[in-house]
Parts: sequence; C-alpha cells; structure tokens
Amino acid sequence: MSKRPPPEHPHPALQKSGILLSGKALIGLMRAVHARGLPFRFTAGGHSMAPFIRDGDVVSVSPLASGDPALGDVAAFVHPETTFLCLHRVLSVNGNRFLIQGDSIPDRPDGMIPREAIIGRVTRVERAGRNVRLGLGPERLLIALLSRCGMLTRIRRYAGPLTACFSRRHASCETR
Amino acid sequence: MDMVFSHSDDVVSREIDGALIIVPLTAGVGDMEDDLFSMNETGTEIWNLLDGKKTIREIVDALAGQYRADAGEIEADVSGIVKELLKRRMIVEATAA
Repeated sequence: MSKRPPPEHPHPALQKSGILLSGKALIGLMRAVHARGLPFRFTAGGHSMAPFIRDGDVVSVSPLASGDPALGDVAAFVHPETTFLCLHRVLSVNGNRFLIQGDSIPDRPDGMIPREAIIGRVTRVERAGRNVRLGLGPERLLIALLSRCGMLTRIRRYAGPLTACFSRRHASCETR
Repeated sequence: MDMVFSHSDDVVSREIDGALIIVPLTAGVGDMEDDLFSMNETGTEIWNLLDGKKTIREIVDALAGQYRADAGEIEADVSGIVKELLKRRMIVEATAA
C-alpha cells in the first residue's frame, strides 16, 4: 500500500484517467474511499475559501470517524440546493445542524447544513507542493468567529499583504 | 488458467458515467492527483468477473460464449489485463470457492 505502482505505460484497457470528474462522481469516489477509513486527496477549485484554500490547491478530506465537524473545521459537504461538493467552514453548531460559509463570501452563507450532508473535513492543504497549515490549526476557531461577525473579509482587505506573508511563513517545506 | 483473482483491498473502484474508475489507495490515501485509472469496456467486463470465485478459464469461457469470439484471442486479452492489474496490485490471487 505504501509503494507506488510501476511507471510504465499501462495496458490499453487500463488507462491513467485524464477525465474530469463531475461533482457527483467526485462525491461517489470520496464516499467509497472514506468507507475504507482513508482520506481522499484531490484538487479544489474556486475562490470561496481564499486565502486559506485557493483555486488549484490540493486538499485531503478525511472521513468523520472521530466525530462530528467542530467549530472552525472546513467541512466537505453536498450543498442541499445545488448538490455540488463544497468545502466551507463551520461557523456554528446547533445539534445536528451546522452553519457553514465560505471564508471569502460572507454575503453568501450556505445556511444550516444537516449532518447527513457532511461527508468529511479538510485535514490537509497543499499549495505548490507545500503544506499550508494556516486555517486548519487552532486558529480556525478565531477565523470562524471573525467570519461569523463579518470581520474576516474586512481584516483581509486591510491586512491582505500581512496575511499573504503569514501564509508563506506557515507553509512548511515538506514536499510530496 | 485455474487461478482465481479478486480485487485488492488497496483500490476503490466505481462505475461513473459508464466508465470504470479505479483509485489506488496509495500510502493510505485515495489519491485523485496521480493515480486515477479508467478501464475501457472490455477491461470493465473482465474487472467485474474477477470476483474471487471464477477461475481465469471460467472468465474466458464466459466471454467467449457471450461474444462468440475466438477463445484464444479472448484468453490473450484476459491474460494481458490480469497481468497488468497484478503488476499494479489492483487484484490479488484468491482461493477458489
């Protein structure tokens, strides 16, 4: 399980897949991998979680084996209206329902998402081969609170260069 | 030809829009980034028959009967795909039921 497959060209019946999977296909594969208790790694698209998750970042979504998503976690969930896969932050927990919102779209909250729509939580973000830790550690609580009261985008606006610098400093040198 | 194979626990497969997608669970992660494979129609059919019960001979016979094709040709196809899947550890040898 730890060794990578041989690099030669595969048999014509078996091809390295270059197809772009739809949201539903991605969700199906993620659920299948999670059923084995393993994280699912893929490239995220969009800007709703900037600057913590950017378009093209590689994210790992782990199954919720260790319990429900908590305040500040970035949850992977199926949006009840669009049925798209979303990666947005949990801003509050109310029993089995979770207030979720993208960090950079305070005007478009996802609303109260039921527990059954949540597939997993983001446990790793990689950017250009480096781990990006800012946004997934203990500071996620503060980010959630700031986001909830509408302060996060304001802070970003005024402290954008500082945030970028902070992000770089928190990126480890670990490569894949 | 009397060997029996089943899908490895180190892969996850799903049929999506008519194509079989195989995700190897490399280093404890289901990785869409490097290691996503898709099977063509023939490969998918053979993959589905590698169920841990049927021998390679039974698979060849089943396909030869279904397609009324030359058994030798089908055997070569099945052997080639099985060899590839074994090499990539997508299937493992199983004990016949």
